[in-house]
Amino acid sequence: MWEAIGDFFAHLLAPSNPLWFYYPLCAVVAVVYKATKFDDPKKIALSALHFFGSVTLGMLVLAAVFYIISRVF
Amino acid sequence: MTAEAPSDRSPVAALALGWVLPGAGHAYGGQWKKAVLFFVLITALLVAGLALSGGTNLLSNRLWYAAQICAGGPAVALTPVSQYLAAHRPIDWADPLHEMGTLYTAVAGFLNLLVMMDAYIRLAYPHREEEEDA
Repeated sequence: MWEAIGDFFAHLLAPSNPLWFYYPLCAVVAVVYKATKFDDPKKIALSALHFFGSVTLGMLVLAAVFYIISRVF
Repeated sequence: MTAEAPSDRSPVAALALGWVLPGAGHAYGGQWKKAVLFFVLITALLVAGLALSGGTNLLSNRLWYAAQICAGGPAVALTPVSQYLAAHRPIDWADPLHEMGTLYTAVAGFLNLLVMMDAYIRLAYPHREEEEDA
C-alpha cells in the first residue's frame, strides 16, 4: 500500500501531469463564485481560499483513495 | 450587501450587458471593481482555454459551445478565429490539453452566466442580505 501511495504522489507531482491545469481553474472558480456572494475584498479572498483549499484537498483525497484501491485490489 | 444599486437601472439591461462583455452588468450597476475582476478572470480563462487547445476548441463541439457562448462577446469574437484555426490544423481529440482547454472555455461561460445572474439579482433585489457563511 505504501508503494501505491508513493506512486500516487510521483504521478501527481510529475511536470507532465495535465492535472496541474486544474489548480488555476479551481482558483478562478473560487474567486468568481465568492465575489458574487460577498462585497468585502478581504472576505472574498478568505472565503475563496477556503473554497479552493476544500475542493482541492477533497479531490486529492478522493483521487488517492481511488488510486490505492485500483493498485491494491 | 453594502452597495446600493441606483433604482433607475434595469436588471434586464445588466443581464444583457453582462453577456456582451463579462463584468459589464456590474459596471452598469456601479460596481466597477467587481466588474474589472470579473472581466479579467473570465476573459483570461477563455483565452487560456483557447491557447491550451491551440485555438481550435470554440465550436469544435456544439454541446460544449452551448457553454462556451455564455462567455458572451469575447467568445463570439473569437469563434471565427477558432473556426479558421480548426480548419487549417487537425484537432487531436485525444490530447489532454485540448480537453483541458475546452473545459477552461466552458467553465468561463458558466462563470459568466453566474456573474450575469448576480448582476441581475443585485439590481432586481437591492436589499438582499449578504450571506453569512463562507
